[in-house]
Amino acid sequence: MKGVVLRFRVMAFLAGIMSLLLWFVELPVVYLLDAPELEAKVKWIPFVHGYIYAFYVLTAIHFTAKARFTIKRMILFILAGTLPVFSFVAERRVSREFKF
Amino acid sequence: MIRSKSLVTALLVLISFSTFIALGLWQLDRAAQVKELQKPYEDKPVVALSEVSSPNSNLQGESVNRLVEFSGSYVTQFDAPNQVDSNGKVSTWLVGLLEVDGGGYILVVRSDANSDQPRGDIFVTGRLFHRQYEDLGERIEGKLSRIDPSLLVAEYPGDYYDGFVLAKSELRDGVALDLPRVALDPAAPTIPGYYWQHIAYVVIWWLMALVVVFLPLYSRFREREGSPKE
Repeated sequence: MKGVVLRFRVMAFLAGIMSLLLWFVELPVVYLLDAPELEAKVKWIPFVHGYIYAFYVLTAIHFTAKARFTIKRMILFILAGTLPVFSFVAERRVSREFKF
Repeated sequence: MIRSKSLVTALLVLISFSTFIALGLWQLDRAAQVKELQKPYEDKPVVALSEVSSPNSNLQGESVNRLVEFSGSYVTQFDAPNQVDSNGKVSTWLVGLLEVDGGGYILVVRSDANSDQPRGDIFVTGRLFHRQYEDLGERIEGKLSRIDPSLLVAEYPGDYYDGFVLAKSELRDGVALDLPRVALDPAAPTIPGYYWQHIAYVVIWWLMALVVVFLPLYSRFREREGSPKE
């Protein structure tokens, strides 16, 4: 269980960072600024975020299934990776709940 | 009761699964389109305008950049200031409003030099472009702030083709009108995003499709095991 929790916490942290970059860096640069050079520099963010989120979903399912959480909680953990900050909240809760 | 609940669950799973699979396929299609558009543009054979566009309908992505031919007569013409060609040259373009034989109006960029409006039936060959969205000049009489048919609908009511045509040649009675033509490269890809970005979304949507199939199985498993952790 320790490894599962650790994997989830790492992925939650990475997904959180990538969500912050996506929402507060990439999207404003692409849709609010008219700066093609800057746009080229942030183009890696959406697809790195995409793949990290996919791995986050897998670790979230693995962790919540191992912890035998309800389906509702499993879905909330999966969705936490889509919004900035929420995956950090999930990570904090898990680290409080599962101390080794 | 239990049976109807299972039926509703099965239906929800089926709908969600199909939706996620369809979203994945949509992203896969966009990824393929992005890849296709990144290749150097190769001109396809010239087609009649009516084959790739029609009045009162949006110009489809696959019709943009197509070389088209049509004939009709010019109704009027405008200056479109501050236009930029492929070489970065800023100039005023001469834009004609042409009534197409068979119906509908279309904007034709004729030249970056002044010229009188030609009379009679004109046969035009040129490249189709999306309409412009940003104003490059003032909206005053005789001038177009951008090359956009929607600016003319009030003054010249009728059916309009979307976008505009950049004329490569104009013929009157089989004789070419001698005008300097505007040099403009085919339009850049209009699909936002990058190939691997769309593939990432394919992965996510299909992963979600698997998740919705997995959830009811997980639910059954938990019921069998008992004492869930809330």
